[in-house]
Amino acid sequence: MDDRFAWAGPPPAEVPPEPPKRIPLEIPWISWFVLAVLLLGCLCPVLPKDPAYMDLAHTSLPPSRAFWFGTDAMGRDIFSMIWYGGRISLFTGFAAAAVSTLAGIVFGAASGFAPRWADALLMRLTEILLSIPGLLLILLLQGTLGKPNVVSLSLVIGATGWTGIAKVVRTEVLRLRESGFVAAAQCMGGGFFHILRRHLAPNLLPSILFMVVMNVRSAILTESTLSFLGLGLPLEVISWGSMLSLAETALLSGAWWMILIPGGFLTAALLCVTSIGSGLRRWLNREQSNL
Amino acid sequence: MSRNLVWYCLKKLLLFFLSMLLLSLAVFCAAHFAPGDPLVSYYGERAEKLTPEERAQAEERLGLYDPLHTQYLRWLSNALRGDFGMSYKYKTGVLEVIGKRLNNTLLLGGTGFLLIFLLSPVLGILCARFEDKPLDRLLCWAGSLSSCIPEFWLSLTLILVFSVWLRLLPSSGAYAVGKAGDWESRLTHLILPLAVVVLSHLWYYAYMIRNQLLEEVRANYVLLAKTKGLSRRQILLRHCLRNVLPPYFSMMAVAVPHILGGTYVVETVFSYPGLGALSYESARNQDTHLLMALCLLSGGAVMLCSMLAQAVNERVDPRTRSGGGMEVERRG
Amino acid sequence: MAEILLDVQEVSCRFPMPGRTVLRAVDGVSFQIRRGEVFGLVGESGSGKSTLARCIMNLCRPSAGKIFYQGIDIWDKKQFRENRKRLQTARQIIFQDSTSSLNQRMKAADIIAEPMVIHGVTPPRGSWRAEAAFQLHYVGLDASYLDKYPPELSGGMRQRVAIARALSMEPEFLVADEPVSSLDVSIQAQILNLFRHLQEEHGFTFLFIAHDLPVIRYLCDRVAVMYRGKIVELAPAETLFADPRHSYTRALLASVPLPDPRRERARKPVEFGEFSTAGTLRELAPEHFVLTEGCG
Repeated sequence: MDDRFAWAGPPPAEVPPEPPKRIPLEIPWISWFVLAVLLLGCLCPVLPKDPAYMDLAHTSLPPSRAFWFGTDAMGRDIFSMIWYGGRISLFTGFAAAAVSTLAGIVFGAASGFAPRWADALLMRLTEILLSIPGLLLILLLQGTLGKPNVVSLSLVIGATGWTGIAKVVRTEVLRLRESGFVAAAQCMGGGFFHILRRHLAPNLLPSILFMVVMNVRSAILTESTLSFLGLGLPLEVISWGSMLSLAETALLSGAWWMILIPGGFLTAALLCVTSIGSGLRRWLNREQSNL
Repeated sequence: MSRNLVWYCLKKLLLFFLSMLLLSLAVFCAAHFAPGDPLVSYYGERAEKLTPEERAQAEERLGLYDPLHTQYLRWLSNALRGDFGMSYKYKTGVLEVIGKRLNNTLLLGGTGFLLIFLLSPVLGILCARFEDKPLDRLLCWAGSLSSCIPEFWLSLTLILVFSVWLRLLPSSGAYAVGKAGDWESRLTHLILPLAVVVLSHLWYYAYMIRNQLLEEVRANYVLLAKTKGLSRRQILLRHCLRNVLPPYFSMMAVAVPHILGGTYVVETVFSYPGLGALSYESARNQDTHLLMALCLLSGGAVMLCSMLAQAVNERVDPRTRSGGGMEVERRG
Repeated sequence: MAEILLDVQEVSCRFPMPGRTVLRAVDGVSFQIRRGEVFGLVGESGSGKSTLARCIMNLCRPSAGKIFYQGIDIWDKKQFRENRKRLQTARQIIFQDSTSSLNQRMKAADIIAEPMVIHGVTPPRGSWRAEAAFQLHYVGLDASYLDKYPPELSGGMRQRVAIARALSMEPEFLVADEPVSSLDVSIQAQILNLFRHLQEEHGFTFLFIAHDLPVIRYLCDRVAVMYRGKIVELAPAETLFADPRHSYTRALLASVPLPDPRRERARKPVEFGEFSTAGTLRELAPEHFVLTEGCG
């Protein structure tokens, strides 16, 4: 059958192999490193002292050789509490971000693919949700779920943080739905899942990835704010936020280590996540424009 | 045209009321299921000492025994007549309670909003003008740091430094005791919370302006302006800024209620008597009427502002207008 | 007379517009395309050509009328489902804007192989990659372009990739929706020659949409002129260019610039006003249909 193509000359004898994938160069290595150290420290099962043990002989001590980061008003060792509390803070952050990402993608895609009136209705619902101040909404939702624990708190934080992702997914889906290559794939007979996997997902990913990382950040932030206000996890559950809820007494006695050290760790974690997020966005955008 | 406009306004108004109705229903249900005892906010400490009979009587009097929908309908019919009920805690009309605190919030949030509104274009333009120069790098670095620090921790740190260590500024309240009318006292009490509000929001908007300006700078009309011999500053201020500002304004319109109402963390830490602290307190104690009024206030403000921004955008943006050389006919 | 491949019967396509108006993009259009011919569709921008193409490719449901492909009613759900595979492999479309019709995040090799992947065709040349290389070679690009992404290619190259993708299924009916109008002239010529080759070698049936008359004249056997959603004139290409009957066709032909600048300058500029779209399509001469009013 190939003689029909004779006019084009002999076909290529040899097809060059696929080149290997490039490794991204511009990565915020420092942030990754710091975040890795934080994560490893938090996951480390061995702590120098029991974080929950109240050593009433040593309350409110400044940092010293025995207590590296000092002790709090109840005589607990802050160094151990930091690593122990970090588990809760980071876990809540990632879990809540997972919940909100899933909800956002489902909601946004549904809104983007739905007929116009349904789309308008869904968007109106998000608007109503957005009009209630975030913390208040979390408070009310948490109230309906009962006494907060790590899982329910992540659920609630996730349930209030998906609107941003949903909006981005919706606009992207609307844009992609109109684009020529989706129409072309339809012509070729590509089904919904083929289009989703080969066309929508690769195009959606860059814009979502950044928002997911930012969601991790805002979830960590929300959890610590809630716990600080005494609305999140109960006092006996140690997290970076709940450690700071004792700050008022610390302020009066001028015990700076109780405020600056947990807050410093919290800010460092947030800063790392943020710079990783913007690094990712830069990298993905560059790929998009230079490819 | 004018009839269209009337229709448009009516439609939006209807939509607004429907949304408010939905919002009030949702908040009412959520408040009902939330933890907290309305009697505690009504009687304070005494609530725990009440005998069961007294308790039952009190609950009867407040109408807490009625089924949920009866309670809601009663609230709704009162609210439609302008009566938003009574705060359990303050024992006066809800609107009065809010009115007392409103000016404090307006002072903090309003000044904060104004500062953010004015400063973020300045920062954004500076960054765009000196793109990738040390100044831009410094501002970006400081900005992302400031937006990463949790609001409450920033407040604590500022209190620690300025009130505890340096003893320069007061750490709580809106004014010193008995000096409600004294402007100097109010001002000194405002500095720290205001700094937190501005620092935690400023970079978000400044960064947006910076990025949009940088996008504009890469457009072709800038090349044309360059060939005309305009200076960098003139191009940025006269040409690029003009395209960036309209979306910025509409964004800021939507941000008004968020900045105004989103100050409750700051208000709580600084014990600043504003609406944020009030709504947080009312939600905790099931002060339902107060909570409803506050939620409707903030929700209504958000919706109103976003609708206004949308309407203005629809009028201004020529891309939403339709038409052309195609055959278009009236339906029906 | 050759077999009728595509039969379009009284197809209309209306879109609701804001402000209670309806846009009649396509308005009662009928025509037939015979196997092996190149059918041209001309008209100004917005005259409904692309919408018609989308209707024919099952992308946009017509609000009235029927379209038959080899006797299959393609907008009938049952008939479409029964003949799905055949319809989707035998008909292919090349879009006007190759920037948007190629996914920016896929390599040329993957783009070209996509239809084969969808239909699970076993690649006759070993691998899908080899198949893609072959198709690329066929449209005049060498294998070094296999791993390029669309933004790395020039407009002409992208359009070739789009053509290679359409050809990879070896279709019998190709819709080309203004495939050359976004390209510069020298590349237009290359692509047109490529189309001509394809037609001669493969015996494809073409629906070729353009707004450029010389291109149509060069390539097409029969031509339909569209204006505001209606076909105003339909004739064999030579007849149409020699003896245009409808006033719109005449204006369109008169607006083509002449190669000789002195004659071009001496010519009277064409008046483009409103043209009548009333009446019905009648056969005024054999094979020559014109939209005429009344019973003339």
